[in-house]
Amino acid sequence: MSAEEMGRVSDRMRRVLAVFTLIFLGVLAISPIKDFRREWKQYKRSYVKYAQTRPDTKKLLADYRPDIDQVWIPGMNVVDRCTTCHQGIMQPSLSGSSVPQPYRAHPPIPHNVRDWGCTICHRGQGAATEVAEAHESTLAWEQPILPAKFIQASCGTCHYSDLPQTPQLTRGRQLLSELNCQGCHKLPGIERSAMLGPDLTSVGTKVSREWIYKWLKEPRTIVDKDGNTVVNGYETEDEPRMPKFRLEETQLRALSAYLSVQRAHPITPYKFDPRVLAAWSKNPELVSQGELRFKQMFCSTCHSLAVTRAGETKLIGGDIGPELTKVGSKVNPDWLVAWLRDPQGYLPHTRMSRYGWSDEDLYKVTQYIATKLTDSDLLTTVPQLGAPTEQEIDLGKRLFQEKGCASCHSIGGLNPQKDFGPDLSALGAKNASELEFGKSAIPHNLVAYVQAKLQDPASVNPAARMPQYSWNQADLDAVTTALLSMKGAPATGALQNLVVPKKEAAFHPAGSFGEVYERYKCYTCHKFNGVGGDLAPDLTYEGSRAQRQWIVDFLKNPQTLRPTLVLRMPQFNMSDKDASILADYMSVALQHPDANPASTDAKGFTSARVALGKQLYEVKYQCQACHTIGGTGGYVGPNLNNAGNWLTPAWIEAWLRDPQALVPGTIEPRRQFTDEEIKSLTAYLLTLRAGIKPQKSAVARPSSSSSASAAGAGR
Amino acid sequence: MKRQFIRALPILLILPALQGCRKSQAPIAATVQAASYDSEADWSDSQKLVPLGYQETQGKRVFYQYCVWCHADASPAGPSNRSNLTPVPTLLNDGSVLNAQSDEYLQNIITLGGSAMGKSAMMPPYGKTLTPDEIRSVIAFTRAIAQPPYQPPARPGSQYSPK
Repeated sequence: MSAEEMGRVSDRMRRVLAVFTLIFLGVLAISPIKDFRREWKQYKRSYVKYAQTRPDTKKLLADYRPDIDQVWIPGMNVVDRCTTCHQGIMQPSLSGSSVPQPYRAHPPIPHNVRDWGCTICHRGQGAATEVAEAHESTLAWEQPILPAKFIQASCGTCHYSDLPQTPQLTRGRQLLSELNCQGCHKLPGIERSAMLGPDLTSVGTKVSREWIYKWLKEPRTIVDKDGNTVVNGYETEDEPRMPKFRLEETQLRALSAYLSVQRAHPITPYKFDPRVLAAWSKNPELVSQGELRFKQMFCSTCHSLAVTRAGETKLIGGDIGPELTKVGSKVNPDWLVAWLRDPQGYLPHTRMSRYGWSDEDLYKVTQYIATKLTDSDLLTTVPQLGAPTEQEIDLGKRLFQEKGCASCHSIGGLNPQKDFGPDLSALGAKNASELEFGKSAIPHNLVAYVQAKLQDPASVNPAARMPQYSWNQADLDAVTTALLSMKGAPATGALQNLVVPKKEAAFHPAGSFGEVYERYKCYTCHKFNGVGGDLAPDLTYEGSRAQRQWIVDFLKNPQTLRPTLVLRMPQFNMSDKDASILADYMSVALQHPDANPASTDAKGFTSARVALGKQLYEVKYQCQACHTIGGTGGYVGPNLNNAGNWLTPAWIEAWLRDPQALVPGTIEPRRQFTDEEIKSLTAYLLTLRAGIKPQKSAVARPSSSSSASAAGAGR
Repeated sequence: MKRQFIRALPILLILPALQGCRKSQAPIAATVQAASYDSEADWSDSQKLVPLGYQETQGKRVFYQYCVWCHADASPAGPSNRSNLTPVPTLLNDGSVLNAQSDEYLQNIITLGGSAMGKSAMMPPYGKTLTPDEIRSVIAFTRAIAQPPYQPPARPGSQYSPK
């Protein structure tokens, strides 16, 4: 090889070497470039750029570091790097939807991000540094971000007691309780109501086999003009308590046979006073008088009727008791009389009061129900069932237990099965891989599963025993929220310490008050010490608020105090004795510690004070914006026409000092009255007295209110 | 042949290296995107839904508990107290009146009441009943449902910015 050749070779080698050197350098550079281009670093840099476009750049970048930021709370298992990209979370100036994500500030909530981290509420993978891994479900992490719509579920994970800020969660928990989900499922913290489905021990005396068949096939009775069965009501947004079971023809026959022979307590027809029958049975006014009485007694406070106006059918009335549009074609007339006389004799846990009926009223109202609230076509679609056979009854009894009927309905001799449905106490923490999606095409995540299962249980599991409910969207989301909040026992001791337990409410009045309270079922509408319904005012401190004589008069002849509310308190035909038992107990036992009768000095209420109070009421504070006196004024608060006979001086003073201390959440704002002003206003209000007679309201009421049919009789 | 291989080598080396640079960019599911927290039907057009954020939703709750009685044409109980009052209270969605008022002004009138701001004494003060955050949330709700729509001031207000 000549030198020239050697030179050419080494020349080529040099070139190859150069190329390889460049490649080597290039490969070396990949790693730093990759690091530079990391997703979170890009967000960090663009935050700096964004901050520079804002007027308060310096403040926004005060604690900026180019590294990963994290919130580390060892006791709570929190390692959240979310603030690496979500850098503006703590910057109030970045609030508002005009600020692009991920830089927007967190809305103000009672918890600080530094003390709680992010994943405690939002879920997702806190330690991840990539957008997809942090937010979504991955193979290694199946707890994706909780959609904002259901975020209240996270509040419920620690707050077992209801919060005013989480109406959706509260509604969901209420639905779980009302629909008696805990009859089949284990749901911690959800109250199991005393009244489940009706006791069916004597259901054969109440309804016919044909009606049972129809009810089991389609437990909703109102049908719209196109013949479609619709959810129990158009305007009301309530879920029917009885869900639809997917039953076959033989099952319907068997169950209806079994139930129709349940006659543990036979009915003896009630003998009306012959004079009443003589006077009324031929009277053409009988039915219309019965209807009038039905309205006057405020049955519509709890029961609704379908009313067709201008071609549109609506349910009008309350939803505490069942809808009654076709009840005359449903129940046995003898049973109806026995029921109205003593509902608690048939169903011990019923929420219906025992009214003091006169024979005349009872006859008129039952005749009205039996003739007017009927539908001759109600049972036309039901096949001829004939007398139940032994075989059908046996099969029916077996089905009653297999289908889980016994979880809600009791029948003498049959016990509900324990743990009939799956335990849902940790449903909200389930991974998608633990759920059964069957052949359904829904996205494989927990939220989609829960919603599909609630809407149509068979869509994810054709063999599901769970019946079908009909939800509106808001209720479906509310129940989903409540279920997602159930994440089982807290994972760490620190989290366990954060749990806010549910307040246990209890009110067990004994003695003669307890007896009357049970007879009239006061708690169906009123709350006492946290127990009871919320249709009517909370009576926990009624003894502090109202004067004893006023309570007696009101019970004997209820009338509305709040002009915006339609009176819904039924006429119980209460005896003097019952009224004074209730009033005595309230004045002694239902007292608020802040309203101290000894602190008021009635002698101080001079006429000068009264004049000053009137001045304050009318000019300085303009209370007439919300309260009515003598027909003029606003109708937000109760009218004060009769305040002097109604309210106690101690209550007025305590109320003016701090209304929310007496009734949490009440609308009247707390003012800064001086002690002198409080005394004067009290003195003035105590001079307002009116005779007990029906008031006239100057205001026309809209006819669409839910108890319109009852409104006429209220005033 | 050999030369061709040497030339191809860098490409063969670089390709796998580049492979490592590619990001797995999975689309973020719609559920992950912060969907609206709640919504409110537009007061002048019930078909249109206004999406609400967290703070606006809290404001909606407070509004329907305390304010709806006088600042809307219908209340949960049916009629509204608005027509009873003189001067007639502003409807909460009336942007033609409220858009011109700053957040600070609204915060003050809710906290201190009408008489403190030279307006009707029929508007009571809520400063001792609601927290400042709750009042702020009501203002956020007001802005969300305003008709005509509310435009926030271009720059956050500063005492130094030219008037």
